[in-house]
Amino acid sequence: MLIKRYRFLCLLVCVFCGVFSMLHHSGVAAENDLEKLSRESARIKTLKADFVQKKSMKILTRPLISEGRFYFAAPDALRWEYFKPLKSVVIAHQGNTRRYIYADGKMAEDKSGGVQAMKIVLSEVAGWMTGRFDHNPSFKAVVSRKDNTVITLTPVDEKMKSMIQRIEITLAQKAGVIQSVKIFEGADSYTQINFNNVKINETIDSSVFRNVQ
Amino acid sequence: MKKLFLLWPLFFLFSCTTLPAIHPDSSPLREPSFACPSPYLKEKSRLVHAIEIRAAGQTRNVVMGVTLVDPVSRSISCAVMTAEGLVLFEAESTPEALNVIRALPPFDAGQFAQNMVDDIKLIFLEPQGHLQAKGYLSSGERVCRYPGANGSRIDVIENDSLKNEIKQYSPSDVLKRHILLDQSGKDVYRHIELSAGGAFDYRLVMTLVEVQPIDPD
Repeated sequence: MLIKRYRFLCLLVCVFCGVFSMLHHSGVAAENDLEKLSRESARIKTLKADFVQKKSMKILTRPLISEGRFYFAAPDALRWEYFKPLKSVVIAHQGNTRRYIYADGKMAEDKSGGVQAMKIVLSEVAGWMTGRFDHNPSFKAVVSRKDNTVITLTPVDEKMKSMIQRIEITLAQKAGVIQSVKIFEGADSYTQINFNNVKINETIDSSVFRNVQ
Repeated sequence: MKKLFLLWPLFFLFSCTTLPAIHPDSSPLREPSFACPSPYLKEKSRLVHAIEIRAAGQTRNVVMGVTLVDPVSRSISCAVMTAEGLVLFEAESTPEALNVIRALPPFDAGQFAQNMVDDIKLIFLEPQGHLQAKGYLSSGERVCRYPGANGSRIDVIENDSLKNEIKQYSPSDVLKRHILLDQSGKDVYRHIELSAGGAFDYRLVMTLVEVQPIDPD
């Protein structure tokens, strides 16, 4: 029972994580067709970006600010790292997914029982990583164009829907630059992640996806 | 089995720690009287802490905790979220009711919400009962004892370095909660450690991240 609970929790964490894995589709900002998004995404081999995360909730007077950096290398390596206020790292590389948290003056591997589940779920969101937004069974994807191209992902599963209402990925007008990801958990609670300093197809040392430090 | 073995010292520590005697302040070497320590919030406050959750001597997780406490109405709002911003738990409590707004597994288990609110009250809100005893522990620390909820007793302790401790004992006088507050710095509640005994052995180490302003009512 406890393992199931942890697995579901990790599934949710990985949905958050999986959102980052969609960043490499930013090179198709002007497109609004899912197939074209998928086709164009193949051009992105690596991606690196800084991010600022703003958590808004009714209980907060002002958003909680977190900062970090994201790395991706095709086909499936990613590093999702927070610098402050909490230090944590999720690394997925060659089928292995590990999460580290900073405690007692060092980075320690999260062994809370959900790492295997995290691996399963990340493979589940592999559809996103290959540009197939509409092939992920967990979410329904809709592409719309206002000032920018926006991909809206809505959970299909009712249980998931009660936890995450929708995810909006906004692509910048300038091709190759992701603008923001907004995850809506409820009417008063959402997480907005704004990206900057995005670098595409620059060399990323493979140790980034192997070593926690 | 190994984990169970590691839990034993904490279990032993708590099961063997019982309500200590309070010595009256009669020694001529000690000050004849003192004001009871009161390491509690005096006004409505909104605090954000990084919280390390430890069990069996190891850090199990690190989360963010938001606490909004009003000492006048004794109402509490609280939320727990991951570094990634995922809200795991959110609840509101008044003296009349506890309302759980959101609780994801494993934070939806049994008495988790009530236990969490009780822990927050123990840390931030002054005990409501009348002073039962006042004096010194055998170690020389100043202590004031109050009745707590459901027959428990609460000792509020202060030592010479202005570090406070709050200890809660069960009706059978067994230590159930032990809170350490280091208020020697500029920020009140900048570092809090809570150890829990009994059926749920765990330790929370809370480090203040920020104090947010309160909206005008």
